Amino acid sequence: MAYNDLVADCLQNEPAFCTAVCPFNFDVRDFVHKLQQGRFNIAFKTYRQCVGFPGIVIALCEEPCAQACILKDKGGSVSLKLLEKASMDFARDTSPDQYNMPAKDKRIAVIGGGISGLACALRLAAKKYQVTVFEKSASIGGHLHELLPSEVFMDDIRSQFIHEQYTLRLNTEIVSLDELDFDAVYVATGKGGNAFGLSPSADGAFASTKDGVFLGGSLTGSDTMHAIADGLNASNAIETWLKIGMMNHPVTEGGTRLMPEAVRPGESPVISPANGSSYTKAEAVEEAKRCLRCSCDACVRYSPLLGYFQKFPKRITEEVQVTIQPSSLDGNATLATRLISTCDHCGLCKEVCPKDIDTGEFLLQSHKTMREKGAMPWAFHEFFLRDMAFSNTEAALCKPPPGKAEVTYAFFPGCQLGASDPQYVMHSYRFLLRHFPGTAMMLNCCGAPAEWAGDGAIHAEVIEKIRANWNRLGQPLLIFACASCKLMFGKHLPEIKGEFLYTIMARKGFEAASRFDEVTASVFDPCSSRHETEVQQGVRELALKAGFTLEALPLEKNLAGCCSYGGQTAIAHPPYAANAVKQRISQNDKPYIAYCSNCRDIFTAAGKPSWHILDILFGLGSETRPRPGVSERRNNRLELKQMLLNEFWKEEKTMEKPQERLLVTVELKEKLNKAWMPEQDILSVIENCENSMSKLLDPEKGTFSGHGTVGNMTYWVEYRPLQNGLFELVNAYCHRMKIEEV
Amino acid sequence: MAEPKKLICMKCNKELELKKTDFSYLGHTFFTEVPACPLCKQVYISEELVKGRISEVEMQLEDK
Repeated sequence: MAYNDLVADCLQNEPAFCTAVCPFNFDVRDFVHKLQQGRFNIAFKTYRQCVGFPGIVIALCEEPCAQACILKDKGGSVSLKLLEKASMDFARDTSPDQYNMPAKDKRIAVIGGGISGLACALRLAAKKYQVTVFEKSASIGGHLHELLPSEVFMDDIRSQFIHEQYTLRLNTEIVSLDELDFDAVYVATGKGGNAFGLSPSADGAFASTKDGVFLGGSLTGSDTMHAIADGLNASNAIETWLKIGMMNHPVTEGGTRLMPEAVRPGESPVISPANGSSYTKAEAVEEAKRCLRCSCDACVRYSPLLGYFQKFPKRITEEVQVTIQPSSLDGNATLATRLISTCDHCGLCKEVCPKDIDTGEFLLQSHKTMREKGAMPWAFHEFFLRDMAFSNTEAALCKPPPGKAEVTYAFFPGCQLGASDPQYVMHSYRFLLRHFPGTAMMLNCCGAPAEWAGDGAIHAEVIEKIRANWNRLGQPLLIFACASCKLMFGKHLPEIKGEFLYTIMARKGFEAASRFDEVTASVFDPCSSRHETEVQQGVRELALKAGFTLEALPLEKNLAGCCSYGGQTAIAHPPYAANAVKQRISQNDKPYIAYCSNCRDIFTAAGKPSWHILDILFGLGSETRPRPGVSERRNNRLELKQMLLNEFWKEEKTMEKPQERLLVTVELKEKLNKAWMPEQDILSVIENCENSMSKLLDPEKGTFSGHGTVGNMTYWVEYRPLQNGLFELVNAYCHRMKIEEV
Repeated sequence: MAEPKKLICMKCNKELELKKTDFSYLGHTFFTEVPACPLCKQVYISEELVKGRISEVEMQLEDK
């Protein structure tokens, strides 16, 4: 189904289970919300407005809601009737609202002074229509006389009509509609009453086969509660007739498509009133708080994006569509630009949606459209695209297996594993060659940053290059270390099959380098492994074998949440990314075992002790090893390439690491990391200033300042030249705005 | 606001003076006065300006 159709089918606004079975379609979510805040007066107003005669309804309602309540077997259904009563007991003012409206000249006859006719009369009289009620007996109330002491319902009727005028004709039996001269008629003559030869019409709600005449209440088979609801609702159908002369007022559809599994889980014992019959204020609030206010909000509860913005797919779709196709006068009001760039594409919104609405994919396509139109700020993704280009050029490597082994596999570690620690890749490759000597090396980026940036052209280029390399190597099976790479291959290079390094290690019974017998930890599944059950299992087996006791996380396996790296949102929306990390690391107080180096690095940077599973297996870094910064990550990739070439292909190659010519303090390094400014780029700006003499001297400090562009970004550098081509970096910062130099 | 620091253009050996300079971002252009070499027009943008007004305007334009 197309995305727009799926969104149209979203269950966000479906009524709660209780509302769906309520004769009045009472909005329990709204009512209970008010009670939860102790707002009895406004809660009661809501209730009275819905049911017309609160005293009668509280006395006679048989509570179908209690049967439908999702807590029925989880501590007991919410005691709605007692809550309704409490709202009436504790409301500051229970008198009906008085509406100051001009009198209308339309005249309506209500035949039958039972509760359905009175309900209709009440609503129409409140709107200042001229209403006459004809009752054949000597008193109003109809069959309520058989159900309640007359003072109970008469009090309620009197109270509700206190501000309204209508004409009551008792002892007046209408025999034929011809004797009436009215603009509309509501026939509510009770069970077995006179229908004047009319029957219900399928044209509209309460419509009869005669224009201007409506039928409802017990006459058409309704029980007491439905009879009241009929009267209230028939007033709307009558008004449609009076205003536009049509009998086709829509019939209210009952029921709900809400699914119990999509509702927030909960279980709590019902609050019983201490006096046995009615709640105190405190009891009522406590009982109201038990109510789950059932709605389909799984996406907002689970998805980091929808949760952060507190927006449902429909709203997001609307905002994104006006952003892509702006209708403002200047044509560039881009309401949701940042929102589109904030999705981490973890897939959780679709995973938890009972209707499979894939808001993430919609945002991905929208991002692409914005990028193609040149409407997406380049700054959101430029750093990552440049970083990817670095991984795919200077730091890339594609080599057949060392020695003369025939190619069977190719190891695809991805660009981030070696950036975190080159030893992850070195050890893994040694392991693979031991077991599969025909393992080639494909060291480059899978193209995810281009996909996330919505740049179709760059993405296609990366994919084609990978395909060409794979063909050149003889189409081997791939061994992945990164779940995002595998996901990207599945999507864009489906002909290339492969499996995870960790699954192979588990299968080979790999013994970890050290033991962790006394340690309890939690496996943090990367979001891109959501449907990779084999690797989820494999990593758990490896950790258990190393001695760990494992504690399951609330969000794991198919419900795994993104560490914040996905979609590379950190530049487009830093507060969102920071919030996502916080949520992920607060799931428990145990250290994590990750099998995505980005998850590990991001978590340790945020103070959560985390190992990469390879740390454990090969005895590498500790769970608190700091996250390498942007410059170090590039350096690590170059170093990895050099180590691979030296060790496996005996190519004595020393990669030039430009930033070694730059002296930077630890504090400044930290600042550069936060600003996403690699030292390699800073050095190139300094060199350009030096070569062109476009530099400014600060005579007081003896430093030079200058600027240059890195991609579209303007870098400012302040430095002191030292001997042997070295520079001391004093400060650096950057801005997105371009200087229009003459 | 602090007195702008003295800076010398190394190309022209001239002290920088305040000069109207144009900027652009995401299809919008604006100008402000910043120190620039009177001869070669080389400009200087302080970190204070970048972290303050420039970054503010950048964000406004991205969210426009």
